[in-house]
Amino acid sequence: MIVPRRQDAPEDITPEDSIIAFPEGLPGFESCRGFVIISSPELAPLQQLQCVAGPPASFVGIDPRRLVPSYRCELSRADRERLGVSDESVLLWLSLIVIDEDGTAAANLRAPIVINPMTMTGRQVMPQRGLYALRHVITDLA
Amino acid sequence: MLVFTRRKNETITIGDGIEVRVLRVGRDGVRLGIVAPADVSVHRQEIYQQIREANESAAAAPLRVPEVAAKLRRSS
Repeated sequence: MIVPRRQDAPEDITPEDSIIAFPEGLPGFESCRGFVIISSPELAPLQQLQCVAGPPASFVGIDPRRLVPSYRCELSRADRERLGVSDESVLLWLSLIVIDEDGTAAANLRAPIVINPMTMTGRQVMPQRGLYALRHVITDLA
Repeated sequence: MLVFTRRKNETITIGDGIEVRVLRVGRDGVRLGIVAPADVSVHRQEIYQQIREANESAAAAPLRVPEVAAKLRRSS
């Protein structure tokens, strides 16, 4: 017997092992403690960061090295410890993007989200020396 | 709020393992050194606030995301 899928059933249930723990949430979203990354051809090269543990919140981000190939952000000892970093080359970097009403899109290169896929842990790092712009304009739709 | 008077090189300790030392006292600023365990975040408040505001704006406007993505694909 084929049971039709209920109309109100969620389209996809997030498997537990794809949830990235953010033990401190994000500044302004401190109670968002778990996120998933959603990638799709329509979104590429952007990725969506969707909160699945905590209040509904969704962001889009981009690997800052796609915008600034020489991008380099030094992690503090505390950041490395909290992310459980043993090998920096595996880390995923995302700069969150703000799209203004006029269509200007800007990425936050100063405080990127760093995710360690080995420990499935992420946090937004805030380098003490602000080398990069908080608003790096990437495109203008006007 | 607790209020202390501290001179150069004097410290205060907070809880277990947090130490704040006055390194220099200038005319318009005080230079502080902070020792804290790795699991305690220490930030200048204005920086935390800036990032918080940036995050709030980032969460607010996902409407034109596909347009921005398409434009980035074209330009790369």
